[in-house]
Amino acid sequence: MLEQLAQLTVNGLITGTILALTAVGATLVFGIQRIANLAHGEFLTFAAYVALLLNVFCGLNLFVATAGAMLGTAALAVLLHFIVLKPLSNRGLVATCLITVGLGLMLRDVIFLVAGPEVRKFDLDQTIVYDLGLIRISPGQAVAMTITVVVAPLVAYFLARTTLGKSMRAVSDNRDLAAVSGIDVERIGTYVWLLAGALAGIGGVMFAVVQGTFDPNLGFYVLFLVFTTVVLGGIGSAFGALTAGFVLGLVMELSTWSGLFGGLAPKFKPVLAFVALILLLLYRPQGLFGKARVL
Amino acid sequence: MLLDVRSVAKSFGGVAAVSDATFDVAEGSITSLIGPNGAGKTTVFNLVSGFIRADRGEISFAGRRIERLSGDRIARAGLVRIFQTPRVLTRMTVLENMMLAAKDQPGERLWSAWMTPRRVARKEAEGRDKAEQRLALIRLSHLTHEYAGALSGGQRKLLELGRALMVEPRMILLDEPMAGVAPVLREQLLDHIRELRAEQGVTVCIIEHDMDVVMSISDRIIVMDDGTVIADGPPDAIQDNPRVIEAYLGRSGGLDGGARA
Amino acid sequence: MDLFNPGFWTFVAVIAGIYGIMALGLYVQFSLAGLPNFGHVAFMAVAAYAMAILVVRYEVPLALAALGGLAAAVVLAVVMGVPALRLRADYLAIATIAGSEIIRYLVMSLPELTGGAIGSMGLLGPGEIALYNQDWQAFRDAIAGLVTPLLGAAPSHDEVTMALVWALLIGLIALFWRLERSPWGRVLKGIREDDTAVAAVGKNVVHFKMQALIIGAILGGLAGLLLAWQIGVFSPDDYQPTLTFYAYLILILGGVNRIWAIPVGAVLFSLLYTGTRFLNFFPLSLFDPGERAFLRLFLVGLLLVLFMALRPEGAFGDRRQLMLEK
Repeated sequence: MLEQLAQLTVNGLITGTILALTAVGATLVFGIQRIANLAHGEFLTFAAYVALLLNVFCGLNLFVATAGAMLGTAALAVLLHFIVLKPLSNRGLVATCLITVGLGLMLRDVIFLVAGPEVRKFDLDQTIVYDLGLIRISPGQAVAMTITVVVAPLVAYFLARTTLGKSMRAVSDNRDLAAVSGIDVERIGTYVWLLAGALAGIGGVMFAVVQGTFDPNLGFYVLFLVFTTVVLGGIGSAFGALTAGFVLGLVMELSTWSGLFGGLAPKFKPVLAFVALILLLLYRPQGLFGKARVL
Repeated sequence: MLLDVRSVAKSFGGVAAVSDATFDVAEGSITSLIGPNGAGKTTVFNLVSGFIRADRGEISFAGRRIERLSGDRIARAGLVRIFQTPRVLTRMTVLENMMLAAKDQPGERLWSAWMTPRRVARKEAEGRDKAEQRLALIRLSHLTHEYAGALSGGQRKLLELGRALMVEPRMILLDEPMAGVAPVLREQLLDHIRELRAEQGVTVCIIEHDMDVVMSISDRIIVMDDGTVIADGPPDAIQDNPRVIEAYLGRSGGLDGGARA
Repeated sequence: MDLFNPGFWTFVAVIAGIYGIMALGLYVQFSLAGLPNFGHVAFMAVAAYAMAILVVRYEVPLALAALGGLAAAVVLAVVMGVPALRLRADYLAIATIAGSEIIRYLVMSLPELTGGAIGSMGLLGPGEIALYNQDWQAFRDAIAGLVTPLLGAAPSHDEVTMALVWALLIGLIALFWRLERSPWGRVLKGIREDDTAVAAVGKNVVHFKMQALIIGAILGGLAGLLLAWQIGVFSPDDYQPTLTFYAYLILILGGVNRIWAIPVGAVLFSLLYTGTRFLNFFPLSLFDPGERAFLRLFLVGLLLVLFMALRPEGAFGDRRQLMLEK
């Protein structure tokens, strides 16, 4: 039991960190651009496939491939911003949602067409298991841990200490006030897509690596976990998203612990997240750390 | 007393917008609610009309407790409020805005709309007549078929007033009716308000900053400051009330706009 | 099949009719009441599964089971609606799409109840094949029998279905066209623009929105039933979240606020759908059948973006009445 608890905690922390990083990007986009980017999941898929290309077909190691995916996804995000989303930003909430749905469909299906629906994996020997006594971790989890242990503090530092990071949080929190204080809101709007793309880039590869195998539906399945994290942390709150990611990751994993009345069957973990999302939107849309905005 | 407000309080995120409001409004009267900005006047209107729920206190209208009822139910009960910034339906014509507000329309019930078209048509014709009459009363007839979005601010206020009348209210809450209205229309608006009471027996409660208007039209004035009622009485009593003068000191230099020394 | 095969066109018509009914349901919720329901497919799935389970497991006659399916869709609408109606537009969109994914996920994860990923065939458990639409086929054959002497030749299965579905679609559109013009429709139009103003004149806004939601659910459920009967054996993949966006595309193609444009949008959409499935000329011939599905979805996404960007009012809509700027 204890062993299971320890294992689940580690799993939860790993998943949680990945969720947290991805959600920071998504929440800032939501807060700054006021867009519920339903294509965000496809950014993750795109990243995984770029990494696949670099890792398996170009022979680069996984860390370099992740960096490449990060750059590629950031570029994609900014491209979409300039070509589609910015010119159409005046259409209203629902129209923008539909547009992001359309973009997501396009992206996902181009990947299906180009890369095929076959299940893929990285050039990583998933049969090795690192046995650390109480817990075991797979190579995928090891890679994810290594990367996120480096990236997460960097992101936190960026948000807390750099001018750009602080400006982003300011615009997300209160756009008008930020503009009046001299922050170039337009430019921040562009940078946030870069950040969100980069973080989605890392997140996408990490999800794929931890899962072991993936197909073009990766992003769609993870989209709701990311959105739940965003809402849980308070839409627009970067640190909220960071914290909420850990919380959600741990809660989802620990819910299957047999010490909790036998535990939730693992296949229902996503349902837990979906239900949490709906309940949050209905009863506490400001999440744990957001302000209660007038809806 | 048509409207009875007792010890009503409302806070937003720790800030008390209204801390203790108690007053009543007599049927058939014109009462003004005045006070400096932030005194809680619009919040009181929102609470009374059911668009916000009070934290504490009781509100009664025509003998019925309404503090737990929703805005639409209170409107149906005969207490209608008009918003500070007019909320006309811009994508409908003036006539459609009016007809929408008519009371007791069988056509709004799905079953009747489907199954009893003749009755619905008859009631629609009645509604149209009533709307046209009201539009004539408030002198907007020439705009009957214009889209409400094309109306000026003052015209929109009149339209909102006309729309409120279609609901056949016993009492209307007017939130700063004179704000943004051209001086030419102000006198007209004042006349309409007086007519409301005189010809239709509608009780009126107004939030207003223009003291000339307040003094000339009110039977009674309620003064609020900092979330509570600090004075309540006929115009001359309020004018000389030291607490009221103090609340306004530095803002408008006296209730009469500084005309007196 | 190719363009000159009448069977192809009949199939296009059947699909157009069924999706048209689904789009009509969404029209009532979205175009009339202003509710952006991104989970519409859930009504279809719930109705179809409820009906199939009733027929296969409890041996309920098909007509009754169909009513049961519609009732299930209504229950879902009520459950959704009571809390959801006070959500802001984009939150509602996210909540409803999450809701429809939960339903699909649950259907997949509870194979004892729903047959799981295999679909309706698995409803009787492993080793047995469940069929539920014999009654529908019998009904269809009965109609074919009635009509044959009049036409001089026996109509095909698809032709009968086409006639039935289009009769329903046109009848329903006519009904809602009338309702749109009634005082009921007027209140909804007001609610779309400013529900606080409408509440301030004494209309019970929640009540009206709920009605729209339930009507949309019934129509969606009906479309779900017809789809299930048409394809015979269905699985959760037949009721993916993307179906909701087919409905949006149909509305957008014809014109979001023109109810009579729905058949046009439906036919255009159906051409896209069945064309990519069955036609074989260039450039479609470059893609094998498996890839056609991805191409189709790609085109749906592309059209959604293009129309929202360049012609949001659709082919026949009225830009002035467009309520999308909120």
